[in-house]
Amino acid sequence: MVIMQVIVGGLLLGAIYALFSSGLTLIWGMMNFINFAHGEFVMLGMYVALLVVVGIGGGPAVFGIAAAGALFALGVVIYAFLIRHVLRGPMIAQILSTFGLALLLRYAAFWFFSANFVSLPGNALSGTIDLGGIFLPVAQVVAGSVAIVLTLLLQFLLTRTLIGSMLLAVAEDPDAATLMGIRPDRIQALAWGLSAGAAGIAGALLATAYPWSPSVGETFGLIAFVVVAFGGFGSVLGSLYAGLIIGLIQAASGFWLGVIYKDVVVYALFVALLWLRPQGLMGKA
Amino acid sequence: MKKLAAPPLGLTLLAVGLVLYPLLFSDAFYRDIGVTFLLAAIAASAWNIVGGYAGQISVGHSMFFGIGAYTPVLFYTLWGWPPLVGIPVGILLSLALAAVIGLPTLRLSGHYFSMATIAVAELIRILVGTWNFVGAAIGLQGPARGRAWWDLTFRSELPYYYIFLVVLGIVLAVTATFESRRFGYYVRAIKAGERAAKSLGVPVHWTKMQALLLSAAFTSIAGSLYVVKTGFVDPGSGFGILVSVQMVIVAALGGAGTLYGPLLGALILIPLQTATNNWLGGGGSGLTFIIYGGIIVLIARFEPGGLSELWHRLLRKRWKRVDATA
Amino acid sequence: MTRSSVLLAVCGVAAAMFGFAAPAARTAEPVRIGIMWPLTGNAAAAGQASKAAVEVALDIINNAHPELANLPLAATTGLPNLGGAKIEVTLVDHQGDPSMAQQLTTRLVTQDKVNALMGAYQSSCSFTATAVAERYGVPFMVGESAALNITGRGFKWVFRGTPIASDYARTYMRFFADLKKQGRKIDSIAVVNENTDYGTSVGDAIEAEAKQTGVPVAIRIPYSASSTDVSAQVLQLKQKQPDVVIFISYTADSILYMKTMRNLDYRPPMVIGDDTGFSDPSFIPAVSDVAQGAMNRSAWDIGKPGSTTYKINEMYKAKTGRDLDDTSARNMQSLFALADAINRAGSTDPEKIRDALAKTDLKPDQLMMGYQGVKFDETGQNILAATYLIQLQGKQYQLVWPETAANAKLQWPMAGWTQ
Repeated sequence: MVIMQVIVGGLLLGAIYALFSSGLTLIWGMMNFINFAHGEFVMLGMYVALLVVVGIGGGPAVFGIAAAGALFALGVVIYAFLIRHVLRGPMIAQILSTFGLALLLRYAAFWFFSANFVSLPGNALSGTIDLGGIFLPVAQVVAGSVAIVLTLLLQFLLTRTLIGSMLLAVAEDPDAATLMGIRPDRIQALAWGLSAGAAGIAGALLATAYPWSPSVGETFGLIAFVVVAFGGFGSVLGSLYAGLIIGLIQAASGFWLGVIYKDVVVYALFVALLWLRPQGLMGKA
Repeated sequence: MKKLAAPPLGLTLLAVGLVLYPLLFSDAFYRDIGVTFLLAAIAASAWNIVGGYAGQISVGHSMFFGIGAYTPVLFYTLWGWPPLVGIPVGILLSLALAAVIGLPTLRLSGHYFSMATIAVAELIRILVGTWNFVGAAIGLQGPARGRAWWDLTFRSELPYYYIFLVVLGIVLAVTATFESRRFGYYVRAIKAGERAAKSLGVPVHWTKMQALLLSAAFTSIAGSLYVVKTGFVDPGSGFGILVSVQMVIVAALGGAGTLYGPLLGALILIPLQTATNNWLGGGGSGLTFIIYGGIIVLIARFEPGGLSELWHRLLRKRWKRVDATA
Repeated sequence: MTRSSVLLAVCGVAAAMFGFAAPAARTAEPVRIGIMWPLTGNAAAAGQASKAAVEVALDIINNAHPELANLPLAATTGLPNLGGAKIEVTLVDHQGDPSMAQQLTTRLVTQDKVNALMGAYQSSCSFTATAVAERYGVPFMVGESAALNITGRGFKWVFRGTPIASDYARTYMRFFADLKKQGRKIDSIAVVNENTDYGTSVGDAIEAEAKQTGVPVAIRIPYSASSTDVSAQVLQLKQKQPDVVIFISYTADSILYMKTMRNLDYRPPMVIGDDTGFSDPSFIPAVSDVAQGAMNRSAWDIGKPGSTTYKINEMYKAKTGRDLDDTSARNMQSLFALADAINRAGSTDPEKIRDALAKTDLKPDQLMMGYQGVKFDETGQNILAATYLIQLQGKQYQLVWPETAANAKLQWPMAGWTQ
């Protein structure tokens, strides 16, 4: 029974990892761009959810969509004012710009909301489902399901729609895409919007289960990187699998080896994987 | 080439300025800022060898910094040995670690290498934080008072300043020497395109490994200097990701892959950090980091090649103007 | 000609540095205290709360507050022995960075010419800051830092007003002994600690003390406070079935523990939080429905309306909108003790302040905290520091132990959740 609980808990955790990593992998894969501010997008999503709940009230659907919308807009704005200009610069300029952005966003939140910890008021998604001795917290089940649906939607968008083809065309070769009448700028702005929007939803859902302060982005950022690299840069399905696997590994190693070693195991496996299969689980060689 | 042949006049003036600084500003606080600046410049210059010249952007250099910082105080804690003994041992350990992690990770390119270095550094940070032998989460302290000069524990900032200055000079001189040798051409070729470099007969892996080893050794020294200055190290200040990030930011801001870029970056960033924190930090509104982050964003946005590029462009413009008026 | 501009740039930067030099020169009258805390970074919330607490303390010291007359210096304006001099605090942010703490201490001593220092929350920063203070011979009051060996390094200028890890550990063991006398079963305990300096210090102390008093530690679980999921820990606890679980945790993780225990249907007879996270103002609203009866260590008790502590809490609340927490209150108490020593010294001479600090002997009724007094041993540690245990009953903590001070009855076992 304990084993089942560990497995279920690991998968639920993994689904949440997948949720906040799916946006990161989109940018990483499409534009070969590391966004160190992704965790801050998640954090802002949490605060948007808080503002909505406190200001106008409403359930997870309301504040989830609000967070997605707000972060989508922010993603587009950040693309237009910053990312567009460093996209073709050296890799180090990309790193520099998003490090700076991460600091800026974190302390902007600090300035507006103070350093104090907050939680989402009300019990939007509290409670537990008891499956014959295996406990499923409602908030995590909802977050996990949304993660899977969202990831599949993103995958559908990329592979089955015109927009998806445009995104991939721009990713493949922006110049050729321009010749085909696609405006790479718009498409890339859209990708940033989608990426930040996904992080926004992730943040809103995490806010139902997790208390936070402006520095929470750091916590989520590092895990997201590992998940994305594990799954293969740019593979949306890969990050879903990787999220689930990492969640499972963390739960299992945390329970049997000791909690402090769960990250050690993940990082060690990650380095080993990079060595053996640098393109990640699902990445193309 | 052009960077190597830096006009001796400017260089001399810079050197003289750095030598005279603590004499002009005799106040302990300003000297301390000078020491902080030198340390940042040393660490970033060390990082620059592999991150800038060879283009292998490591975000895990804190692993070498931490080893350099921990080894001297560990020996002091265990056997009362002066930190001076621990410094070379730290270098050897860093070299060994660089060789071990370089073999697999240097094959990775671009972001993969960055991610792998982050992962290894985090791994070490967590392990050190649980290892009682090295002080676990609490960290280790150096000598509270120096027994003699070889404890490198001084009451005044002045000796630290000049020791750090000499080390910075050595790092830059060694880097300049390497840059002018075959190694310099190799790394530039690798940075321009690994495949092309390989086809031209450049020993890509060995060159990258050389850069990493050299960089690791100097970064380890930077860590040792840090610990003799602060007299304390814990997992966060030795192996934390912010330590690595600071090196990247300083080098990138000044201009990665140029000899004086990291120096320029430190010259801008450290006073900026100090000034914003001293002016605004006490207010507690987080304004320090809003300004700091904002300036980094602006530089990345408008000068993606770092400030040294802006510098060169300004010079060129001025020369043009001179030409035009002549 | 081209490179001479380099020098210009250097000079420009140097001039910029020069710019933020002297705070406006004043008469030597006010007493200057330099205080450093993490006002940004991961521990910013704690630093910010303590900042507000210090502002309240300054109001109490510098202005006449006859309604708080049992506290030294409250009834009068400023420090009477220094001709009513006011205390002026220079607050700086060390960002949780030990080398920044070192640099700022240097600044406070050499630039701001402070008469005494206080700080620094994180043990790492207290280590480096106190070393500088020792070098310059300026008294340093450690308001709150966990690591045991901050005092006891042979330093002459370092004092710590707060209880330390071994005091907490002894408190818990005395509490368990009391319970056993009443016939309650304490056959084993579990220690769950976050794995930085704070959690490790307190966890180690509890484990050592438990061994000495013969209380078996069923399991010790160190973990990272930034964990996004703690179910593995809770499942381990559930397997071991200890009678008491002691959590040494920060804010987000302690809330997460309470919620996860509810989610996994794990209800030990008692949960004790070691202050910090359990004392964060966001803890009660977040978990009061699932953590009923959870206990917490605190030397701070708001007390009954009309009491001194109640009035102090009202002042703090008017400023921040929140109740005063234990960590900030202990910092506040340390500042009161420091101010009292400066007043007794009757001088801003560091040597005299130090000697007055060493002679400090405050009685329990002169304090806002539940210490047995303030009196420093030769290492500078307050040997009379003590702590209460409080219990979450409804939407508020009630003082339940020791019984002599208690204002509510201990509920055992904890109820946890009802619905």
